[in-house]
Amino acid sequence: MTESRSGRQKSRPAPTVLIVEDDAETRAAVVRELAARGYAIVEAHDGRTALERWAARRPDVVLLDLGLPDLDGLQIVGQIRREASTPIVILSGRYEEREKVAALDRGADDYVTKPFGVDELDARLRVALRHGAGPRAEADGGLATGPLRLDPVRHEVTIDGRRVDLTPREFEILRVLLANAGRLVTKGRLLRAVWGEAYQDEASYVYVHVSQLRRKLAAADSEGHLRDLIVTEPGIGYRVRGEPRP
Amino acid sequence: MLVMARRVILPMRRSLFVAVATLVVATVAVAILQDGLGVPNPSAVYLVAVVATALVSGPVGAIAVSVASFLLYNWFFVEPRYTFTVAQPAEVLAILLLLFVGVVVGQLTALQRARTELARTREREARALFRLSRALATRETTAAALAEIATIIRDQAGMRRVWVSLGADEATERVATDTNAGEARPQPGTIATLRRMPGEAPAEWVRIHRPGVRPPSRARRSATTNRAAVSATYRVRIEASGASLGSIWALRDRNAPDPDRTETRLLAAAADQVGQALGHDRLVAERQAAEIARQSDAVKSALLQSVSHDLRTPLATIRAAAGSLRPGSGLSSDEQRESAEAIDREVEYLNRLVTNLLDLSRIDAGALIAERDVFELDDLVSRTMQRLRPRLADRPVEVAVTDRAVIVDPILLDQALTNIVENALKYAPAPAPLRIATTDLDGRIRLTVEDGGKGVPAESLGRLFEKFYRVPEKRPQSRAGTGIGLAVVRGLMEAMDGTATARQSELGGLAIDLELPATEVPAEIQSPSAGATRPTA
Repeated sequence: MTESRSGRQKSRPAPTVLIVEDDAETRAAVVRELAARGYAIVEAHDGRTALERWAARRPDVVLLDLGLPDLDGLQIVGQIRREASTPIVILSGRYEEREKVAALDRGADDYVTKPFGVDELDARLRVALRHGAGPRAEADGGLATGPLRLDPVRHEVTIDGRRVDLTPREFEILRVLLANAGRLVTKGRLLRAVWGEAYQDEASYVYVHVSQLRRKLAAADSEGHLRDLIVTEPGIGYRVRGEPRP
Repeated sequence: MLVMARRVILPMRRSLFVAVATLVVATVAVAILQDGLGVPNPSAVYLVAVVATALVSGPVGAIAVSVASFLLYNWFFVEPRYTFTVAQPAEVLAILLLLFVGVVVGQLTALQRARTELARTREREARALFRLSRALATRETTAAALAEIATIIRDQAGMRRVWVSLGADEATERVATDTNAGEARPQPGTIATLRRMPGEAPAEWVRIHRPGVRPPSRARRSATTNRAAVSATYRVRIEASGASLGSIWALRDRNAPDPDRTETRLLAAAADQVGQALGHDRLVAERQAAEIARQSDAVKSALLQSVSHDLRTPLATIRAAAGSLRPGSGLSSDEQRESAEAIDREVEYLNRLVTNLLDLSRIDAGALIAERDVFELDDLVSRTMQRLRPRLADRPVEVAVTDRAVIVDPILLDQALTNIVENALKYAPAPAPLRIATTDLDGRIRLTVEDGGKGVPAESLGRLFEKFYRVPEKRPQSRAGTGIGLAVVRGLMEAMDGTATARQSELGGLAIDLELPATEVPAEIQSPSAGATRPTA
């Protein structure tokens, strides 16, 4: 049970998922479905057990229910993040909105809202697993998706080789979003990454900045390859598409 | 105060003055008539003095002046003059008649004067009472009329200051109004309290000394330094059906006597009327509370009825579909997929229903808190519509939404918009078109969702957002709706400082207008190049 980082590549065909869920029926159903889809399963019915199993087994991905009887979901996210960047997918009810956002801000990767379909859950887990390795960057630190390319050295964004005129703020936002392609970027994380800690004054306008950015990209993207590149997640932030649209 | 002064101080001096003056004038006139013009026995002139005095000072003055006239005439004009003896018997009769007529006329005049005075007092009292009842009748609540009532009492009952306190006893009484608000209220050692008598017997003032409060030296000193010696404190309890509701308090100048019968009657009447009005207020409040309780019971049973029906129907589908998925059910894999999809659909339906129910309870409890942010409206609307698109595939859908910035909670707006679109899906079946558009208003943006269904009768439009309201249907449907969705829409919108209203659509069906607070994006964020060629979603 010592395989962790090096083991992940090997175990890719059968990734290990730690399922933390206190409701026995839900847990049993999820275990059944995910096992059938080729995951290796580790179960935990409360927070303490979850942390023990996580330490012992070092799973490839954690599926974490927020409403646990003993520990706060945030504590578990914090505990795991202190030691590893293992992807965490949150399971949340409709009325745990705030807790969910806080968990995502603290480093959880994604969420699924109850009641969820297993197909949706599977898709989220696979995306999370892919990005466990961290954002992809090109050799020179550049970022690219489809026809879009961002060059951090020359401070330049091009689509199909044509330059897109962005303000410094928009450039920075795009850089952070592209660096997190395929993941969920909360408003709080975006604010801290782009504005630093002095973001208070402009906090309300994050969404407007992104809308402007998206509009400029759409205007330069005649083929429509970049449509839905940056998707708003109401109340949370943005989801950036990982792969270019085929 | 002027009324009182005239009645108490002036009369004595004025009566004396009038009596002496009229007697002097009458004596001079008699002298001229009898000695100058030779008129025999003009003693009747003295009757003028008698009547004049009677008018001013009443029967006692009239008798006094009659006797004085009798003596003066006898002294000055009856032979032998300057004595009170009378020489001729005929003269005796004349002056005795003068005395008699003087007394009678004086009495009659004084009586007339008293009647006039009484009528005037009665009229003043009646007018004061009328103003009291008017003050109470024209106000929504008794509390609002109290200030006016206090002023009426002060002016009409000769008081210096009046305040009304409400409460069951003196300890819990709170001042509701005060004619001299801002001045410190005295803590008198002695209070004159009006004791009501049963039946017709007049009420009387009873002085009650309050232990613990020492009125003596200090109070008197401060009273004298405090201009007029204000201090006599009067209290009339306000009662209704035996329960004490408060008191009318009044201050009167110390040197003034206790309120007279009329003033006392006015105070008592004011207390009675306020008491009745307060009692009435209390009854109304109790009735309203009972009505609210009744309605909320009705709402609860309506909720249970509609929800249990709406829960049971999808549950029945799910159970049937789950049975068909069991191994050995003999269904083809296509049929099994259909069953699985039916379960998915019903679960989604139940999920929305439960979400709306929870939202409704949070709205009712005032626990729904919007977390608002600045968004470009088209961003949010297109996101919601993208999610709903699969269910809209069977009909023409037109979306044209402004990209102006609004201040909303994106989750609440998504929920509201979803409810409205689902409502349209349910009541305006395909191929009825659906249109979503916006209108720029001053400081707000109107987001309109309208359909080409058969619409809603005009009389139902105003009630669409009421809880559990359903437009009456000719044929009852198996899924008539819970009457929750649009009630939630209104609650969500109000939580965001928005509004939701309904009207007839030009498309033929229902149009729902959502108004949202808009905002301007600062120029440094708004990039000029993007502004010109902005497409609408």
